[in-house]
Amino acid sequence: MTENTGGQPPSPPTGQTSAEAAGSIRDRLASRPSDEADSGGDSRVSDVNENAFQQTYSAPADEGQRDAGPAVDTSGALAEPHELSEADARSAERKVSALFLLSLVGVIGFVATYVFGEPQFGEPGNAAFTPLLGVFMALALFGIGAGAVLWAKLLMNDEEAVQERHPFGSDPKERAATADALKQGFGQTNLARRPLLIGSLALGGGALAILPIPFLFGLGRFQNKEVTLATTGWAEGVRLIRQNGTPVRLGDLVIGAVESVYPDVEHGTKRADSPALLIRMRPEELLLEGQPAEWAYQGHVVYSSVCTHLGCPVKLYEQQTHHLFCPCHQSTFAADEGAVPIFGPAARPLPQLAISVDEDGYFVAEGDFEEPIGPSYWERG
Amino acid sequence: MTSTSSARASRRSRMSGYAVLLLALSLVGTLYTAFGAPASQAQDASPSNQSMAVKEGRELYLTGCSTCHGLNLEGGAGGPSLIGVGGASVVFQVESGRMPLSAGVQQAPRKTPKYSIAEIDQLAAYIQANGGGPEVPEGDLADGDLQLGGALFRTNCASCHNFAGSGGALTYGKYAPELSQASARVIYSAMQSGPESMPRYGDNQLLPEEKKAITRYITYLNEEAPNPGGAGLGRYGPISEGLVAWVVGITAMVALTLWIGARA
Repeated sequence: MTENTGGQPPSPPTGQTSAEAAGSIRDRLASRPSDEADSGGDSRVSDVNENAFQQTYSAPADEGQRDAGPAVDTSGALAEPHELSEADARSAERKVSALFLLSLVGVIGFVATYVFGEPQFGEPGNAAFTPLLGVFMALALFGIGAGAVLWAKLLMNDEEAVQERHPFGSDPKERAATADALKQGFGQTNLARRPLLIGSLALGGGALAILPIPFLFGLGRFQNKEVTLATTGWAEGVRLIRQNGTPVRLGDLVIGAVESVYPDVEHGTKRADSPALLIRMRPEELLLEGQPAEWAYQGHVVYSSVCTHLGCPVKLYEQQTHHLFCPCHQSTFAADEGAVPIFGPAARPLPQLAISVDEDGYFVAEGDFEEPIGPSYWERG
Repeated sequence: MTSTSSARASRRSRMSGYAVLLLALSLVGTLYTAFGAPASQAQDASPSNQSMAVKEGRELYLTGCSTCHGLNLEGGAGGPSLIGVGGASVVFQVESGRMPLSAGVQQAPRKTPKYSIAEIDQLAAYIQANGGGPEVPEGDLADGDLQLGGALFRTNCASCHNFAGSGGALTYGKYAPELSQASARVIYSAMQSGPESMPRYGDNQLLPEEKKAITRYITYLNEEAPNPGGAGLGRYGPISEGLVAWVVGITAMVALTLWIGARA
């Protein structure tokens, strides 16, 4: 672009003179309203549009001083050819074409790799298969994209056009027609003459707004309340097993050890509600009282490892401070005091599992958790 | 051949006999120093050498550790008692440079070790001789099943140390350290002794071969695991990768857009 980009704004709307001076784009745009007028037959609308377009588009101020350089476009538009010499333009053309052909190479390479290459999906094949696909696809996309950008920057004619928005409102005639139609429609309902209808519709329709309110409290209010969320895989006599299925025996854990334990039931290690953490500390370090103290066994204590805040796995145990730490939101539980929360967003202790040892020396649960595990939910309150 | 020349020849042969003898002797000596030395070190486990190590270890202890841990391992000003902590604790704390502690901090940081391996062994022998405890692991500690080690690591270790051993935060300023610099002996000793916040994993809970498998997995992570993307970015997963994608990727896109929009 040359002089007419030098900070000069497009000339203000000048009405008819400007329209005469306009180039091909103006002609094209200006011709559209008359086409519509022909088909629509509404001369008033057409006039409005004509004015809008005449205000919107105007010729650059210095159109007359256009360069006499090598014209790429000879159509007489507002276009301003680049100041590239013919030799430079040819060179640019070759570059752009080379990029487009590079894209072709990429496509051929991609298809050839896909058809003839040996994919490697966990088996011995050609390790270059996937990278080659990627490289060729990149070549194909890059060639087209880069070629198009270069084409636009070097070889296309620069043109600056300002398109202002047309008036937003519908024209008055249409508005009046719409208002008439609405008025007529309301008249046809006969509501104005039937007051009972209005009253009953207001009551019935208004009552409909109340309908969704119970949904706010959840649809599961009367079902599964005692079954799904409040119970886990643990039950009386169920052994504590490790991830690999082996049961945990008394004495396996030294003091200061932890073990992730699961119930020895079907899919026990896969159940999301049952994971727990078996911790061993010195019996005198365990500060439980009452029933929770009976749920522990010789310094071994088991807590649900589902965080009572949002259900993350609480398995970060510090054996010196007896802190159980949730990595998601930093809730911290005191494992020696019944896993009460001492820091972070969790408001409830981790439920404790009552354990004992069976005659073979393996740890067993004495029942399910006394309270629902994990985060709060509607019915739990 | 004359008689003189034959006498010279016999004298030369006698001299060469001495030379061969000398050569043979020095060869035997070299061979002995090269191959005999390990044999003599292997005898260190004999009671007398063991007690020598304990004695040397006590000297080192009195010089470097007793200020905090007490003259008789009883603990004291700022340091816990070391009776019964075992040689594995010594290996973990001293070989990773955590002890001697330089300042009172929430958790001892890893530093350059102050003692040589031989000195650490002597210290460990001294601590082991006073109250027992987890022993210093021996042998090839990273000689385990890599796949089993990965599974065990993810079950037992990853909740604190991250699935790629990058470490993570604990409560009140404490942290689980990253494992990239830990030697096989330090890793194994940590499982044996349960240092600081870390739980202890006795041999009934994680069998020695399972501990070796975990050690193997960590050394694999540190030394062999490939980074297909070119850089691990701490192997923290989508957090660091997303950050880089945004910062680098968006910057590149903006630059490219500016270039496209720039006039020719």
